[in-house]
Amino acid sequence: MNSTFRTGPVVLLVSLIVILTGCKKDNDQPVPTPTFGSINIQFKHVFNEIPLLLDTLAWTDDFNNSFEINEVQYFISDVRLHLKGGGTYQIATSDGIHYVDARIPESHQWLPVDQIPPATYDSVSFTFGLNAVKNQSNRFPDPPERDMFWPEILGGGYHYMKLNTKWKNDTVAELRPFMMHLGIGQIYDPDKPDSIIGYVQNYFFVKLDSSSFVMETGKLKILVLTMHLDRWFDGPPDAINLATMPQGIMQNQPLMHTVCLNGRGAFSVKIE
Amino acid sequence: MTRNTLYIILILALFSCKKSDPPAPSYQPTPYQIEIPFRFPTHLNIPDDNPMTVEGIELGRMLFYDGRISGRTDPDSMMCCATCHLQSRSFECGIDHPVYTGGHPFGVTGISTPHFMMPLINLVWTHTGYLWNGVIEEGNPDPSRRHLEDLVWMGIVAPHEMHSDTNQAKELIQRIPGYPQRFEQAFGSPVVTVKNMGKAIAQFVRTLISADSKFDQYLRGEVQLNPAELNGYILFVTEQGGDCFHCHGGEGNPLFTTNLFYNNGKDSVFTDPRDRYQVTGNPNDIGAYKAPTLRNLLFTAPYMHDGRFRTIDEVLDFYSSGLVWSPYINPLMHHISTNGNQLTPAEKADLKAFLLTLTDSTFVTNPEFGMPDLP
Repeated sequence: MNSTFRTGPVVLLVSLIVILTGCKKDNDQPVPTPTFGSINIQFKHVFNEIPLLLDTLAWTDDFNNSFEINEVQYFISDVRLHLKGGGTYQIATSDGIHYVDARIPESHQWLPVDQIPPATYDSVSFTFGLNAVKNQSNRFPDPPERDMFWPEILGGGYHYMKLNTKWKNDTVAELRPFMMHLGIGQIYDPDKPDSIIGYVQNYFFVKLDSSSFVMETGKLKILVLTMHLDRWFDGPPDAINLATMPQGIMQNQPLMHTVCLNGRGAFSVKIE
Repeated sequence: MTRNTLYIILILALFSCKKSDPPAPSYQPTPYQIEIPFRFPTHLNIPDDNPMTVEGIELGRMLFYDGRISGRTDPDSMMCCATCHLQSRSFECGIDHPVYTGGHPFGVTGISTPHFMMPLINLVWTHTGYLWNGVIEEGNPDPSRRHLEDLVWMGIVAPHEMHSDTNQAKELIQRIPGYPQRFEQAFGSPVVTVKNMGKAIAQFVRTLISADSKFDQYLRGEVQLNPAELNGYILFVTEQGGDCFHCHGGEGNPLFTTNLFYNNGKDSVFTDPRDRYQVTGNPNDIGAYKAPTLRNLLFTAPYMHDGRFRTIDEVLDFYSSGLVWSPYINPLMHHISTNGNQLTPAEKADLKAFLLTLTDSTFVTNPEFGMPDLP
């Protein structure tokens, strides 16, 4: 028998195998079964339960001042999921810091890459602003976070929040600015009002107790974190009257303290 | 079927998955890496389709300074970027310009530009659009008016600038010995196109980085500010002082602009068809313009979009007691209830002393930004 016809089928078979298998990707690795869940944090802003409209004279405080809100920009950090029975899981993505700007829709959603241990969690908490360790000057070289910088002379780091408004009332017809800017506070020398003799960390801790949920393996939980803007102004505990306030508070520690107390109650969370 | 045929099939099979080799590039420009100055932003605005190269920058520098990009050779009507953008004036024309009286440029036909100039400083960090109203931005519905590159063809045809024709411009550049080779080295083709002219000039402009003022040296720990300058800086960054920093940056934003848009209380009646409102349609942007960088303020008079203030002192007086209320004023202008921040003469002097620490003399004399030998 001609050798060509003896070896031919073998060569053809080898060729066929090479053709059929040669381009196959090495994707035969078994897909690992996830052992964790994920979370997506969404940020919403309301005023008296009405979704925020920027640049619109649509809001009224407890003192019948009408006002518009022009900017809402803030940091939250150290989001913690509290385990039922003790212990916490702290979001570590982006060093645990997220910046929210009401004008930047992309910032209204945070998708941490954290792998959340499956468990029952009975509450969620976070830091409003940045704690003293994280609030380091020049950590954000690029906008928009960069533009939150808080001058070194006033304590350094970053604004926790910029909430810019313009208001009017029955006796003040022209819209007047009011800037609710929070960050590190200053203690001024009573004898020399221009001299700063100390600083106050104004960041605060918010724990939302009605936020229990069960994290299941391979599942995504959505935490909808709502800022109730009216509560920054109306409290509790203290309603502030824009008509009797200075136009800004970033060098006024007593007022920053009052606003921070209001801010502790300015959030709610819903788990979806 | 012969044995050889079968072996050929086998060889073909073995090599059937091999990717074809990429064609050898016909040109290999030298990549150019921008060095990020101390504390400057890391996110650069360099389009994917116009990477920085040594050859592109050098070509762009030539075109920036070559009046023939106007498509004309008559010295009386030649015009280029450098006709108005003078290095000695931080790439504005300056209030003392011998032709553009008071610092207001006009085109070859004598028509004045709609606005006064903005300095060409640190534009590689601009992400919010170019010009006073930011109309040259990604969101512009006209795709030919979105990038720094696009300002070149716009300048060639604008009646208040070169008032020329892009075909005429590119054909003239094409005919000049030396340019086709430089286009080939930069972009891989000796054919001159207006698009590549724009790319080259944009590359050069992106190298115009100012980061060596006295204040930069202070931030780097190389020099100390004197007491007046330090006090001026404190006024600059405090809400109860001058409160300049919310719009103009500071140690946390050494660009000395947020590159954002503000109605800063100059007027109560607004008729300019080129304010920010014309871009966004948001009434709160009526009368709003981009906050310009304060770097090299010494060289960039007159000030504001309409050049209404001739000196730094006039600007400080305006912010101290000249603010005008309107419903559109930005809330950051919180001193409006007292018509300004009410700085004392001594405070204004200190604030001015600080502002002058933003003067970067090495930038305005850097030979790498000056006029090159032209083809």
